[in-house]
Amino acid sequence: MLIPHPLLGLRDAQEFTYLGDASLMDRPDPTLDNAETAFCDYVFMRDNPAGVHRELWFHEQGDRSWLVVTRNTITHEILGAELAKDLKLNRKDAQ
Amino acid sequence: MTDLTPITALGGTSARVQKFGALTISENTELGLASLSLRSGQAAPSPFGLILPDIGRSSAIEGFAAFWTATGQWMIEADGQADRDFAKALKSEAPQCSVTEQTDGFVAFEIESIDGAGPINDVMAKLVNIDPLGFDEGSALRTGLEHMSVFLVRRSAGHIAVIGMRTLADSLWHALSTAAARQNT
Repeated sequence: MLIPHPLLGLRDAQEFTYLGDASLMDRPDPTLDNAETAFCDYVFMRDNPAGVHRELWFHEQGDRSWLVVTRNTITHEILGAELAKDLKLNRKDAQ
Repeated sequence: MTDLTPITALGGTSARVQKFGALTISENTELGLASLSLRSGQAAPSPFGLILPDIGRSSAIEGFAAFWTATGQWMIEADGQADRDFAKALKSEAPQCSVTEQTDGFVAFEIESIDGAGPINDVMAKLVNIDPLGFDEGSALRTGLEHMSVFLVRRSAGHIAVIGMRTLADSLWHALSTAAARQNT
C-alpha cells in the first residue's frame, strides 16, 4: 500500500504508523459543562464504517508528520492525504 | 589518568572501508552533524553560507552540507568536524534557531561507485522501498532500511550516504555490505 504524502509523494505504508479515526483531532473542550459526557464519547465511541474512512497516520520512518488519510476500508483504496497540521490551521483561520 | 583509546562507531580504531566490485563502502568518522529547527514564524537562516534546501533535497558548499529532514528542520553536515563541538559553531551562525548536537547519535556510511549510477541504484533497489531512478543527485530523505530508520543522501549519481543510528552501526553495516556483496553474484 502506498500513501500519497502531500510533501514527499508516494511512500510505502510500512513507513507509517496508524493511530485511528481522524475525529481524534477534535478534542472536546474540558471547561464545558458537558465535558465528562463529551470526553466519554471522545475516548470510547468510534464509528466503524465499511467504506470511506478518514484516519490519522504518522510518518514515523519519514519526516514525522501527521497525515489525515482518506481510505476506503473495503477496497483499501487511498483517496487522498492531507497534513493534519494544515487542516488544523485552516480550521483555526476559518473560526 | 587512564589512557583512553577512541573507537569508531563500528568499534575499530580506524574507519572501516571495504570494496565490493564496483562499490566501496566506507565508514565516515569525520562527519560532524547537528540539526537545525526553525521556531514558529522564523525565516530560514543561511549558516556558513549554506542555502537550506527545499523538501526532499540537499545542498552542499565547501566543507558543509545540509539536507531537509522535516518541515522547518534540517540536518547540517560538516566535513572533518566530528571531534569538535560543531553544534556550538552552528548555534553561533543561527542563534535564533533550535540547534541540537547529532554527531554522537549517528553513523555515516558512504557508498561510492566507480561505475556510475547503476551499482548504486541496484543496491538501493535491494535495500529500500524508494524509486532509485527518481532519487537523483541532490535528493535526500528518511526511510526504513531493514526496520532501521536511516537518512539517504544522494551526493552524486555514483555516491550515496546512508546515515543511521550509531547504536545500530554493526547491523547497518551488515545490511549494506550483504546487499553490496550480492551485487557481484
